[in-house]
Amino acid sequence: MRSRLRGAVERLSRQRGVRASLIVSENDGLVVDSSLRFGEGEDSERVAALAASIYRKARLSADAAHLGAVSFLQLDADRGRLCAVGRDDLVLVVVAEPSANVGLIRVELFKALETLA
Amino acid sequence: MNVAAVESWIEAPLRRYVDDARARIAVLLHPSGQVMAQAGFTRDVDVMAACALAAAAHATAGELGRRLDGRAFRGLHYAGAVHQLFLSALEIPRGTFVCLTVFDDTSSLGLVRLYFDELRRDLIAASPAAAAPRPAPALAADFETELNRNLAALFSGPRGEAVIS
Repeated sequence: MRSRLRGAVERLSRQRGVRASLIVSENDGLVVDSSLRFGEGEDSERVAALAASIYRKARLSADAAHLGAVSFLQLDADRGRLCAVGRDDLVLVVVAEPSANVGLIRVELFKALETLA
Repeated sequence: MNVAAVESWIEAPLRRYVDDARARIAVLLHPSGQVMAQAGFTRDVDVMAACALAAAAHATAGELGRRLDGRAFRGLHYAGAVHQLFLSALEIPRGTFVCLTVFDDTSSLGLVRLYFDELRRDLIAASPAAAAPRPAPALAADFETELNRNLAALFSGPRGEAVIS
């Protein structure tokens, strides 16, 4: 399982414009595995906690609005974007440059999600 | 949420921590069990019990860490069915404090740990470093007097008397 997770985050991190990829526990907001191109562990913990919180809120909001399950979450900011997909308690998170190809990242995120099944 | 502190410089950092981490309860205490600040409690007896139990749990975890790992464990997390607690020491210029945080599924351990680090930084920044450190109250002869004084400060009514419920 551990090697599957490691393989998933490393494949995501190889995408152009991806600065970090993480697998995060949605309930705890803790890093399960990560591959970073910025900062150190403290940064990954910060991103993990906040990304898990955002994803959880999106999932609960979608549920409350009777929209069904969240399939893909994207947050665009001035200096980067955050993409996330989830399954069970795991959330796959990618932090990317603003210029990164979101379509490609989305495809890779869904592929990675399949490997976690 | 109502936040009360024995020393006023603690209040703003604790309020921010509780808001950001979405904590239900937060208590800052001396390792001896003496309360320094609290958020979320409405009765002083609850604070007294929480402080006594938190101090005991902190001491136990610390000693376990020293025996198993050669040094005290940094933090303790317990997940209940609804509520979770995070207990960790804070080293600031005014001394060592222990913070007990209770949260539910509106928050997460990751968020609490994230904002706990910010609480530490905020307390260090707010701490009146120039002031002479207070004598350690642990096992002091006037412990009970100090405890009652702190509880009265946290739960004082309009005329300054403690509100006992």
